Amino acid sequence: MNIVVCVKQVPDSTEVKINPETGHLIRAGVPSIINPYDHFALQTALELKKKHNFRVTVVSMGPPQAKSVVQLGMALGADEGILLSDMAFAGSDTWSTSYALAKAVKKIGKTDLIFCGMQAIDGDTAQTGPGVAQQLGMPQVTFCEHVEVDGRRIIARKLIDGGHEVVEARPPVLLTMIMHKDYTPRYPSFLAVNASLKKPFHVWNAADIGAEEHYLGLKGSPTKVDRIYPPPQREKAAMFTGSGQEGMAKILQIMKAEHFIE
Amino acid sequence: MPSMDPISRNLMLDSLREYAKRRIPFDLIRELDAKNEFPTDILKEMYDRDTLGVHLLMIPEEYGGVSGGTFDIYRVCELLARIDLGIATGVFATFLGTDPLNQGGTEEQKEKWLRRIASENLLVAYGATEPDAGSDLVNLRTRAEHVVKNGKIAGYRITGNKQWISNGGVADVHTILAMAPGGPSWFIVEKTMEGFSANKHEDKHGIRLSNTAGLSLDNVFVPAENLIGMEEGKGLLQAQAVFGYTRVMVAAFGLGAGAEAVEHAIRYSQQRIQGGGPLSEKQGYTHKLIVPNYVRLEGARAYIEYTALRLDSGEHGLQTEGAIAKYGASEWGNKAADDAIQALGGYGYTKDFPVEKIKRDIKITCIYEGTSEVLEMTIYRGRWQEHLKSRGRYYLDMADKLDQLHAEEPKVGAHASALGLRALAAVLEECRVHKLTRHQHVTFKLGKLICAAETAAIFSTAAAAQKYSETIRFDREGWQAMARVFAREAALNTAMEGLALVLGAIDSDGGLADAVNIEAIQTEQKGMIADMDLVAVKLKQTFKAK
Repeated sequence: MNIVVCVKQVPDSTEVKINPETGHLIRAGVPSIINPYDHFALQTALELKKKHNFRVTVVSMGPPQAKSVVQLGMALGADEGILLSDMAFAGSDTWSTSYALAKAVKKIGKTDLIFCGMQAIDGDTAQTGPGVAQQLGMPQVTFCEHVEVDGRRIIARKLIDGGHEVVEARPPVLLTMIMHKDYTPRYPSFLAVNASLKKPFHVWNAADIGAEEHYLGLKGSPTKVDRIYPPPQREKAAMFTGSGQEGMAKILQIMKAEHFIE
Repeated sequence: MPSMDPISRNLMLDSLREYAKRRIPFDLIRELDAKNEFPTDILKEMYDRDTLGVHLLMIPEEYGGVSGGTFDIYRVCELLARIDLGIATGVFATFLGTDPLNQGGTEEQKEKWLRRIASENLLVAYGATEPDAGSDLVNLRTRAEHVVKNGKIAGYRITGNKQWISNGGVADVHTILAMAPGGPSWFIVEKTMEGFSANKHEDKHGIRLSNTAGLSLDNVFVPAENLIGMEEGKGLLQAQAVFGYTRVMVAAFGLGAGAEAVEHAIRYSQQRIQGGGPLSEKQGYTHKLIVPNYVRLEGARAYIEYTALRLDSGEHGLQTEGAIAKYGASEWGNKAADDAIQALGGYGYTKDFPVEKIKRDIKITCIYEGTSEVLEMTIYRGRWQEHLKSRGRYYLDMADKLDQLHAEEPKVGAHASALGLRALAAVLEECRVHKLTRHQHVTFKLGKLICAAETAAIFSTAAAAQKYSETIRFDREGWQAMARVFAREAALNTAMEGLALVLGAIDSDGGLADAVNIEAIQTEQKGMIADMDLVAVKLKQTFKAK
């Protein structure tokens, strides 16, 4: 089987702060990382590759420096890497990004499985993966935490409210991955990074994937962001200590004082 | 070897950072530090080719390594030092121990030993220092005598003692410098060889996670093919050939450990409320304990990168540059770590916070790979020659270039750097005219002044570049303000200390006060506090409280 993994380079959100006056992200000095959900999706795909000898291609869309997340994928074991990079892509929303990624998948050729992270930690939309499936007319299983392949059967365990659902599908199918709580992201050895330089890597622009420019970038994006602002800071909580009984009494007293109960 | 592309380099750094986060938490480091214990399993894992293979950086690709260049090695050394300087030293010792082979080994020796070091995760040690021979290797006492069989040299019998050898008690392979009949020579000695033994692990002030031990060689038989380069008498040349970049590595240690300490303090200062506001808002705190230290370390970074890039482009030696890089980074790093303890107050003085350990660790960078005093002498010697050869034009020409730079880019402190260099040229000339270099104190002090004045020049130049290095975590406005602060301080110190030095050695100043142009340097101090305010803000933005 041929697997395509879609990955995104994002700012390390643990280091990002928002300027409270302008609402802009303070990006200075913030390192870029692979979106953690994509990292898990990549690892899931690479485990399947190891088990079944599948072929894995990593795809990302972004500026030239986003090559980093594609090369990480190759260093961890993917066979080939593709970066969609073109000024025409700049400012694309999730619809436009899905369109470009779907075009890239078509150019790659026969694809049985597409893995995506469930969402990126910068935009948090969870739309791009499903969008790619939609553009390709491919079925999708979202929010998966485990995927197995048995012949032509794809068995995915997905998270639903209050539990799990085990879903079976036939390829081609697109899967979006959440993360296990106990999962440890893998990083390549120095030797593997060096070896990844010898694997096939391509940079494709809009013309290479046959994308129509009016569907791309800010102009081609139906979503317009009105403004971004941090939520108002919560007021400080009052802390009380004591036994459960004392705590209950205190809460009741406060609720009465605030007229929540009579 | 040229360095690799930045993306590959940064992927390797990410792997190392993530490994350390997972496997070497501060609690473990603290425990090992208290127990004075070398973490063999961690070092072996770091050398494991499937886990990290950090030692492969020094080994060319054709022998199973990854062919790292000096810039790559500097970046990895800086990160290692941020993790733990003891562990960093363990890795560094392998780098250093591999060096004589890289430099002087024959093709067969490289094929055999570099390949083994690469694939068997071997720890290596560099055995040069002796009880009576530190930086002065001429006093070498360890002897290697011929063992002749059938009229041919079959091998050597090595006898002697080595001291302060990093990895001494744990290395699998040692490169040992010994006096052969043909002169000082390097030999490959395996720990299993008869007559070879390591002494007890030293109980050190800092870098307690690194193993340091003396070595005893008692009539150790070493086969002839273990003579590095298969030629006697090349040892000192082979050792000196690499000082340029081995000193860049230790410079990176001073930078990494020092910056780590200040960054702890910057984060802390945003949370610690005193007198109605966070410490990070108080000039009395930031402009004394934080800003000057971080600025000096960024200067050291600019100089390290300048030297590393020159080495990567194929230049050889660069002993003076390596010495300037190491002297600046280690002295400023040491001062920065000391101030970081002060900045954390009582907390800084406890072992619960990393700065106390960093302060103990970082002191070694002022001692090993050439003490600060040896480097002051090296720097002075190198540049004194240039001053004489150029008839005093060496620094004046450099100053002209910086004034030109100032005309194009007035925001990088290039004019202050130029004033500092002209003051330096005047001081050097005064020393020549009055023969003041007969005082050893004068020569060493000149080494110190040269380091700061040259670093200022390089910092101004780097801050004017179109594109900044991948390592710069500040925007243009912030980094240029740092360059200005550095240049002003360096110019003022060069002029004032240079003047005091000369006045201390002769009766009159011979008009030196005019020659160093004190007045212009004082005028150039205008705007210093506003720049320091700006740097304090940028540091706070970059190293936010966690």
